Amino acid sequence: MKLRQASWFGLAIALALGAGCGPKEEGGTSESGGGGGGGDKKFTIAMIPKGTTHEFWKSVEAGARDAEKELGNVEVIWKGPLKEDNKDEQVKVVEDFTGQGVDGIALAPLDDTALRIPAENAKKAGVPVLIFDSDLKDVDVVSFVATDNKKGGFMAGEHLAKLIGGKGKVVLLRYQEGSASTTFREEGFLEAMKANPGIELLSDNRYAGATVESALAESENLLSRFKNPDGSPGVDAIFCPNESSTAGMLRALQDGGWAGKVKFVGFDASAKLIEALEAGQLHGLILQNPRRMGYLAVKTMVESLQGKTPEKRIDTGATLVTKENMKEPDVAKLLEIP
Amino acid sequence: MNRHPLLSWLSRYANVAGLLLALAAIFLFFWTQIVNTEGIHTFAKPENLQLIARQATIVGLAALGMTFVIISGGIDLSVGSAVALVSVVIAWFLRAGYDPAVALMMGLVAGAACGLLNGSLITGLKVTPFIVTLGTLLIFRGVAKWIGDEKKIDADLTWLNDLLRVLGKDEKWKVFPEGVWMTILLAVFLALVLRSSRFGRNVMAVGGNEQATRYAGVAVGKVRLAVYILMGFFVGMAGLMQFTRLSVGDPTVAQGLELDVIAAVVIGGASLSGGQGSIFGTIIGVLIMATIRAGCSQMGLSNYIQEIVTGGIIVAAIGLDRLRSRRSA
Repeated sequence: MKLRQASWFGLAIALALGAGCGPKEEGGTSESGGGGGGGDKKFTIAMIPKGTTHEFWKSVEAGARDAEKELGNVEVIWKGPLKEDNKDEQVKVVEDFTGQGVDGIALAPLDDTALRIPAENAKKAGVPVLIFDSDLKDVDVVSFVATDNKKGGFMAGEHLAKLIGGKGKVVLLRYQEGSASTTFREEGFLEAMKANPGIELLSDNRYAGATVESALAESENLLSRFKNPDGSPGVDAIFCPNESSTAGMLRALQDGGWAGKVKFVGFDASAKLIEALEAGQLHGLILQNPRRMGYLAVKTMVESLQGKTPEKRIDTGATLVTKENMKEPDVAKLLEIP
Repeated sequence: MNRHPLLSWLSRYANVAGLLLALAAIFLFFWTQIVNTEGIHTFAKPENLQLIARQATIVGLAALGMTFVIISGGIDLSVGSAVALVSVVIAWFLRAGYDPAVALMMGLVAGAACGLLNGSLITGLKVTPFIVTLGTLLIFRGVAKWIGDEKKIDADLTWLNDLLRVLGKDEKWKVFPEGVWMTILLAVFLALVLRSSRFGRNVMAVGGNEQATRYAGVAVGKVRLAVYILMGFFVGMAGLMQFTRLSVGDPTVAQGLELDVIAAVVIGGASLSGGQGSIFGTIIGVLIMATIRAGCSQMGLSNYIQEIVTGGIIVAAIGLDRLRSRRSA
């Protein structure tokens, strides 16, 4: 009796696996065979994002698929950590592809130190590693394909200075301690502020925290601190360095009835922020180009595999979006969600 | 339970055989499916076996402790948080300039302290383990963030980070890195404790029938407390391995690890109502989970397929557990 039950268990698992994974089979195994000389060899590249459900990563994947279609000699395996934003899970995925022996790994590291060891191991095993989106410390990689965040922050600063005619009271609400990309944006922004002696920086040491909720609370406190006795804002312009801090500040401005009265520039987009841009409550957004990031990551990796030496740092560009230019086809493409 | 000894030996053998069969079927499936561009089946290569073993260590160590907890009729939901706390403690001591051995010891102490707190609350307040560890899940996570000042703690690389390294060509004779061997030795030790020591028999008895065990003169509270301290030690070991792999102490790591651990133990044949389970079964359960993980990943399957498959196997295992207990009742 027991024996029969136990073997049923084994059989059931085998069946479940067959059923669960079956439909993928045709696409899963590539039959390139590796023949046909160096030039038209088909490459398999594993692309490992920070997560798989966020819109930003969907756009990166769309770009990678564009490159896959265009080049024709590459197969992209898109596989993020099973638990979103889990560093150990991401380490495992890198190890898996190293062990399987793909031709190259493109990685957006969740942590600039924790992913160091698996990346080194991949290199040792002969699998070249390319980094996209966020930097990895102390590892010599094929290339680093990402937004130049400092430049993006500087663009935001210049736009904001122009909005208030080069003089006035400005608030910078930072994102979070230890977040590399946003720290660069903040630095770039502050650099642009320095070029305008007429601008007085009221606050640049407060952090919004990880969520829209924490950003909202911090924004409310900041705004009430600088509020004039007559109820007017007391601030001429505000910059926030990412989507969640921008969204939180926007909510606080709307609640206080100040939205549109204070010049406000943010970073990254979401449906809510685009709406605010149209309504004139937000006066500029700096957008990254995730689709281009995914495209360039794959293209650069393939070039490197074909023996070329790509540039060590590839900027995927940042664009200033305002109410005026948001309908232009190039810009509208950045705003659409795949 | 008073069956002929041969019969009970046979039934245990059948359970283990079923598990091994399941593991073999899963492994074979991935072996046939995963072919690299040169047409080589890579899944059974020694490097890949080593990889699965390394990836299984953290869940494996925690699952060893959890086997005792579940056999004793308890549960521990705070595992993931405690692992994060231990990794933060180790990184904190390293950053403060202490010797790696001291940092390691302090990590194990932190783990055992977590277990001691869980055990004391459960036996002292007589609250169900589910509720107590649901509370300490939040407490440990909070303390980890507090120690880390809400950030991860970077520490320099030391020999601690080599415990689960990829073995180089000159040390292939070791087969596995030290961390994996430590896990195997601890598993053998615990299997002996569970099967042949008085403590092991008491744990089984407490989980099987608490009232009868108490009447038989066993200090049930003390057994419970010891089980949770043991769990804490193994959480400490798991936290050490977590730090080894990441080289940073990260207060947000290992969220939901407890679910992987419990799933592995249950797949291994332990009963959530207590009194039943084995270390060998748990190890197979851990390996089944790790093999599915690595296999789905290496096939490049989407995460949702992987989650559905893993979930299906857990449900199948628990279904079998129900079937077994109904037959034997």
